[in-house]
Amino acid sequence: MKIVVTVKLVPDTSADKRIDPGTKRLVRSGVETVLNPFDEYAIEAALQLKEKAAGSTVTVVTMAPESGKEVVRKALAMGADDAIMISDPQAEGSDVWGTAYALAKTIEKAGFDLVVTGSQSTDASTGEIPGALAEYLGVPGVTYVRKIEVDGTTVKAERETDSGYARVTTELPALVSVTKSINEPRYPSLKGIMGAKKKTIAVQTLADAGVDKPVGSEGARTELTEIATPAPRGKGEIFEAADAVAGAAKIIEFLRERKLV
Amino acid sequence: MKDVIVYIEHVQGQPRRVSFEIATKAKELATALGGSVHAVVLGKNAGGAAEQLKAYPVDTIHVSEDPDVDGFLVDPSVDYLEAAAKALGPALVLVPFTAIGRDLGSRLAARLGAGQTADVTDVKVEGGRVVSISPKLGGTVLTSCAFKGDYGIVAVRPNSFKAAQAAGAGNVVQLEKPAGKTYRIKVEEVVVEAAGELGVEEASTVVSGGRGVGGPEPFKTILKDLADSLGGSVGASRAAVDAGWIGHGHQVGQTGKTISPNLYIAVGISGAIQHKVGMRTAATIVAINKDGTVPIGEFADLLVVGDLFAIVPELTKQIRANAAVHA
Repeated sequence: MKIVVTVKLVPDTSADKRIDPGTKRLVRSGVETVLNPFDEYAIEAALQLKEKAAGSTVTVVTMAPESGKEVVRKALAMGADDAIMISDPQAEGSDVWGTAYALAKTIEKAGFDLVVTGSQSTDASTGEIPGALAEYLGVPGVTYVRKIEVDGTTVKAERETDSGYARVTTELPALVSVTKSINEPRYPSLKGIMGAKKKTIAVQTLADAGVDKPVGSEGARTELTEIATPAPRGKGEIFEAADAVAGAAKIIEFLRERKLV
Repeated sequence: MKDVIVYIEHVQGQPRRVSFEIATKAKELATALGGSVHAVVLGKNAGGAAEQLKAYPVDTIHVSEDPDVDGFLVDPSVDYLEAAAKALGPALVLVPFTAIGRDLGSRLAARLGAGQTADVTDVKVEGGRVVSISPKLGGTVLTSCAFKGDYGIVAVRPNSFKAAQAAGAGNVVQLEKPAGKTYRIKVEEVVVEAAGELGVEEASTVVSGGRGVGGPEPFKTILKDLADSLGGSVGASRAAVDAGWIGHGHQVGQTGKTISPNLYIAVGISGAIQHKVGMRTAATIVAINKDGTVPIGEFADLLVVGDLFAIVPELTKQIRANAAVHA
């Protein structure tokens, strides 16, 4: 089984982030770039499926500047076999449409039986790439998967819903997006880290990847018109409760003032 | 873009509140665009949901109770929405920013080659263009995005708009089944684990527990009781979820859900940045913590310092007594 995992490189979640008012893009200097934390679950899910099906491979696909190569190597250190990076200045400023389209073209060209993605990124957080990607690949897409089994060409999955879960089945080729409940991502072993240095990261332009429409800012279906910084929340009141009754009474009084009870 | 299409998410014929919220907002947008509001309601008991929708400012309600909508995952619904959108012509489509809404919205946008905006907290028409505002990078910036093409898909964060009743024409029409489709993701079984509970994304009050809660038990007892007394839902910080005290679906924060409830009560949560980004847009934040120097004190509207195990049940008791007096 040929498994493709899509990943995104994101600014470190705990870093202070800033937008350049001129370019309206994130200022990446001074902010560490990391693998989107949600994608580590996707890599782990792919590796576990690979371990169960002899002869399987895991290829990581990302769209990011070439400077992110070492971050992609972490996925290889976890155990993925190789990686494809779409690194092209023309891809800058891609919206959901452009990103999904470019990823789809790249994945189609690389070949796949199963695509595994995270459920969202920690920076843009749209959660809309998996659905769009399934659509462009023309394959069934099962999102929010917390359990997956592949038996021959049949995919059995449990999909999280707001009130529980649904058991669904479909056939390969397919796409799944996984949630945090699915596994506990492994840490790269020393052997994995050493081995990753020899693995291939193929850096491609949009043309190499077979992307036949303009993506990036030019092809975007949305236009960023303004970036603002929201007013920070002010510090409120701190109340030392002498006992439970006083603490509870204080909260009730506060909620009453705000007409919340 | 002229008309506004709203996707009405419902549970067995009961529309989710966010459906009414976006239906209400749709009217304002349609008026500004010079078009009308079209609701699409699909699946089992869609007719029942449509009846309830008549109390909201919707011009036409498109309904289908096609069993394929529930028998197969997502694709049948996308087909219906796509057909409705193409029949109407250039339109703005509002879906809820929920698991279902994200799935539908992203696919519909791909089908229509349309732009999409997600986790939107405000939408307006400016100079004839539709502009979506969404918090990005964990709420540290607010972006405004305008659509370029004929169609635009907006996924709206629940609790962003007020639902207001105002009857529209409410004409109900049956949608025709899109022809020549085969569906590939079969739904074998739907298991409801938390019947009747609203998810943290949709609840107007959320009571969350963190590391300070100390174990799984309080999530089922004192936090649950407090949430129930306020008609709310139980949430959690990453620390509590990672410790296995409560399921991931309840997690609020960077690697969980980003929510905007009317009232957020943080119990035994220090308020690290990873948590803050998930709840900073709550209208009111109350924290209960034994430590008065925790980061949440910097942005909560009220931090009560004391023993949460004593204060939380007492608070529940006083809220219930208060409710009884005013009943």
